[in-house]
Amino acid sequence: MAPLKSLEQEYPILDSNFQSFCASHDIFSVEDLLLHDLYVLAAFAEQESSSERLKQGIAQVLSIIDGQHQPWLNGIELLEDAQRNKHVLSTGCEGIDLLLHGGLRVGQLTELVGPSSSGKTQVCLLAASNVAKKHIGSVVYLDTGNSFSPQRVTQFICQHSDPAIDQAKHRTLQKVMNNISCKSVFDIFTMFDVLHQLEFNLRSQMQGGDCKVQLLIVDSVSSMVTPILGGSGSQGHALMISAGYLLKKLAHEHNIAVLVTNHTVGGDGGISKPALGESWKSIPHVRLLLSCDHGGSICNVSILKHPSMVESFASLFTMCAIDLSLSLSLSVRPFYKLFLLHMVFLFLFTLFNFFSSGCW
Amino acid sequence: MEAKGWISGDESAKEMLGRVLSRARPFLLLPPLHRVPLRPRNVLEIVGPSPSAKTHLLIQAALTCVLPVDWNGVHYGGFDGFAIFIDLDCRFDIFRFSHLLKLRLASGSVSEIDREQNNNTIKRSSIAYDEELYTLCMRRFSYVRCYDSFEFLATLKTLHYRIQKEKAYGNCVHMLLIDSIGAFHWIDRASTCLPLRGSNRKSHSVQTVLETVVQEIRKLLLLHPMLAIATKATLFGNRAMNEAKWNLRKPDTSYSQIGGITALQLPYREYMPSAWQTFVTHRILLRPSDDHLAVSDDQNHSVYFSEWLLPSLSFLDKFIVKEAGVFLVA
Repeated sequence: MAPLKSLEQEYPILDSNFQSFCASHDIFSVEDLLLHDLYVLAAFAEQESSSERLKQGIAQVLSIIDGQHQPWLNGIELLEDAQRNKHVLSTGCEGIDLLLHGGLRVGQLTELVGPSSSGKTQVCLLAASNVAKKHIGSVVYLDTGNSFSPQRVTQFICQHSDPAIDQAKHRTLQKVMNNISCKSVFDIFTMFDVLHQLEFNLRSQMQGGDCKVQLLIVDSVSSMVTPILGGSGSQGHALMISAGYLLKKLAHEHNIAVLVTNHTVGGDGGISKPALGESWKSIPHVRLLLSCDHGGSICNVSILKHPSMVESFASLFTMCAIDLSLSLSLSVRPFYKLFLLHMVFLFLFTLFNFFSSGCW
Repeated sequence: MEAKGWISGDESAKEMLGRVLSRARPFLLLPPLHRVPLRPRNVLEIVGPSPSAKTHLLIQAALTCVLPVDWNGVHYGGFDGFAIFIDLDCRFDIFRFSHLLKLRLASGSVSEIDREQNNNTIKRSSIAYDEELYTLCMRRFSYVRCYDSFEFLATLKTLHYRIQKEKAYGNCVHMLLIDSIGAFHWIDRASTCLPLRGSNRKSHSVQTVLETVVQEIRKLLLLHPMLAIATKATLFGNRAMNEAKWNLRKPDTSYSQIGGITALQLPYREYMPSAWQTFVTHRILLRPSDDHLAVSDDQNHSVYFSEWLLPSLSFLDKFIVKEAGVFLVA
């Protein structure tokens, strides 16, 4: 927070007399003033010679402090803001959309919990491709485990379109892929860097239109936080909570839906529970538990926590069959070969056209 | 002459009682907070792991605060005042608040809503309510978010002027609600300031921040009599289960989980500094139980326990959270 010296230029009442008075009470910055009792300070100011000016200075500082917190809103204003800005983004998976009454809500942090290979990354990729394609907004994908797959995203985008029109499809594919920006982050400090840069860009940007960020995906937040948790210090927990609050601030202030993934650990009695402990439980708005049966083609999704749903999760199991099923992702190599062959044929075809039209 | 004036007194006992009792009427809140009468200048702490319906209780208290006592012949039983909500958790859902308010307005009293809900499910769009009263109640709800301790302190320091401004319009504030007082505990704990010049300079730590918070809230409650309710999440897991795991070798450490909570041993680890602990006048503990209550065929609600720790009452209440709010289970 700003030291009092630097405020003198903007507010001339906080002159050197005021600063030395504050220094005599061990107050050097606005942060110190927040931790002090201002009425007691005003009482001390009474005893000084220039008490009127000092008290005016204290009043000025109070108005500076008034600008340090978020604005007050009443219920009507909150509701209007929520109805205008906090719409719902469909994830592309009907089962999850049904469970969440529409999809991921803008302004909220949704957490996907599940054991490994339960389809969390697939859901993230599906949501990214769906938002980039349908909602005319961009997606920021923070990838911690090199699991972002452009081929898979292409699959999701192209599965519903007419396979005959290749050129137009290619152009839309390009445009949609341009809307997804993927960044590899391998530790929490890089993630803080990226998120602060994103916040800065969003604050200084005008109404972007097409380029407005709608969805932020962090896959997975637990792989970045788990290495720093533990030990006797509290720095790990502090970093985790700070990251959570930064994500929530980005979600609410800049109207973004945030999706994070988390893995599970063994709990009491052998039942697996989400990782990251008790303190993390109060960070996400919505917690979804994802699990896949051994076949790999059908996934179960259930709600662990939701701010406006009151039924217990036991009654809300929904089957969600991800269309291009998970078992296909293992056999992506034959598809890739087909894709390559397709591109080669396309190239030869255009070359043939070029030659036959006698353009050269 | 002066001495005589000193002895004759300012007012009679009847006048004093008339003045005090008209202002300090006890609040009768909805269950499960109904067992102990709460007065202005009380500080109630709602403790519980996440999730245990703490925010729901806050929302219900806020609704009771903003509703009028009577309106157009319908008795709502509210406190007819403003409610201030400081959201440190940043997870407040205004749609849920609005929906609960509409349900309350449509049916008058809470028990009627319950009966109606059991008969048929009320669709969100088809609730008939008084639009003017709805707008009035929504305007009485003041909300602010804080993303770190500095914003929280800044809010508290300037709250007095805000309440005074409202009083100038003739509106009085009856409740101060804080969601999750321990939200920044880890961040404050880990932030250590390098000692700069001035050895008496207050450094930013959990201790100093919470002492300042307590000081500010105490001053506010002195100037504007209102009820303060704060929720607190337990950050350290279930103490009974942890202790049972650690005390595996000592079979004589008897510790029953559900009912046997003595006055000295708390079932959770207290992490707030003593300044806050002594400031709290009432405390209630919420816990999810393993039972589920099947209300209808497709609805399964989990049952929560509530137990008053301060003053220590020796029985547990059971409640569930339904669409219309919080209801006690017999």
